[in-house]
Amino acid sequence: MTAERSKVDAYARAILEIARAEDRVAPVEDDLFRFARALEGSEPLRVALTDPQLPLERRLAVVDELTAGKALPLSAALLGMLIGAGRVNDLGTIVDRFVELAAAAREREVAEVRSAIELDDAQVARLAEALGRATGKAVEVKVVVDPSVLGGLVARIGDTVIDGSVRHRLDQMKAQL
Amino acid sequence: MRIRSLLLAGLLAVGVVAAMPSVAHAASGNHAEEVFECVEEAIEANTRGNRVDYTGFEHDLEDCKKAKSLVTPALPEIIWGGLAFLIVLAVLMKFAFPALKKGLKDREDKIRDDLESASRAREDAEAEAATYRAQIGDARSEANVIIEDARADAERIRREVVTRAEAEAADIRERAQEDIRLAQERAMSDLRAQVTDLSIGLAERVVERNLDRDTQVALIESYINSVGNETR
Repeated sequence: MTAERSKVDAYARAILEIARAEDRVAPVEDDLFRFARALEGSEPLRVALTDPQLPLERRLAVVDELTAGKALPLSAALLGMLIGAGRVNDLGTIVDRFVELAAAAREREVAEVRSAIELDDAQVARLAEALGRATGKAVEVKVVVDPSVLGGLVARIGDTVIDGSVRHRLDQMKAQL
Repeated sequence: MRIRSLLLAGLLAVGVVAAMPSVAHAASGNHAEEVFECVEEAIEANTRGNRVDYTGFEHDLEDCKKAKSLVTPALPEIIWGGLAFLIVLAVLMKFAFPALKKGLKDREDKIRDDLESASRAREDAEAEAATYRAQIGDARSEANVIIEDARADAERIRREVVTRAEAEAADIRERAQEDIRLAQERAMSDLRAQVTDLSIGLAERVVERNLDRDTQVALIESYINSVGNETR
């Protein structure tokens, strides 16, 4: 394990412990997961949060503004901790590791599912059940709304990817052409 | 030695010749008397018997006159002259002629030697000239051989250069054709990729336009059902 990966793991475990202490693991998971995906999809946001010319208070204010009313104050505080520690570029990796650790604690695998539209709870439950049957593991679904998939779903469980998106079919068609 | 003999013979000859006139001159003094005696004898002989034989007398006079003639000298002169001549001849034959003969012989030998030397020199010169001509001939032959070799080399180099140039030209042509072929393939590939991108982009726009919420939900349901059927 490299030093960088050790740091990522340490931050993830620290976040998990804090969420456990507050007994808010699941909501914090959702909040941080959504923020991490939003950060991945928004280059201006990543630039703003990593800009060394921008004071830390201003960057934290951006986070507060984005999470206000949509996430727990604890989640905002954890994000502020990561940004203050200069870990914006590792934020997605740390959050993914935190989600994995939390799911592992519940003896579950995390399935990151990308969809062009939001899924309702029933769809998420049926999807978790279907992915569980397909992988033979207890699966916890984390949905990421990603318009680039165009339609259908893409699920990634560890190193396994089950791609049923329209984007994937178009890519296959392109490769055939 | 020879020169000394010649000088001695010459001096003797000169001395004899110089002595002979005095003897002759002495003889000529008596000669006048002899002429008078001759005339007297002629007169006496032609006036015998009281008869004068003028014709005979004239003949006798003529004979007496002849004794004084330079062309027909008198007998004593002839004798003295002949004696002197014989002495001179003997002296010359004794001293001068051998020296002269030896000189002539030496001269002849020398001329012969010179001629032989000249002949030898001429032969040597001719031999040397022949050698030179042979050498010149050899040099010309060698020069011709060198020229022929140079021509052969030049021709060989020319052929090699031409062959190499042709090979290089063929290689360049082949490379150019290969480059053209690759460029064509690349262009075709790029064109195909562009057509594909355009087609896929068009398909994406068509799909996006036709993907309403119901279709999206149907796709999601289809995905869930198909994944759920893949039991491990």
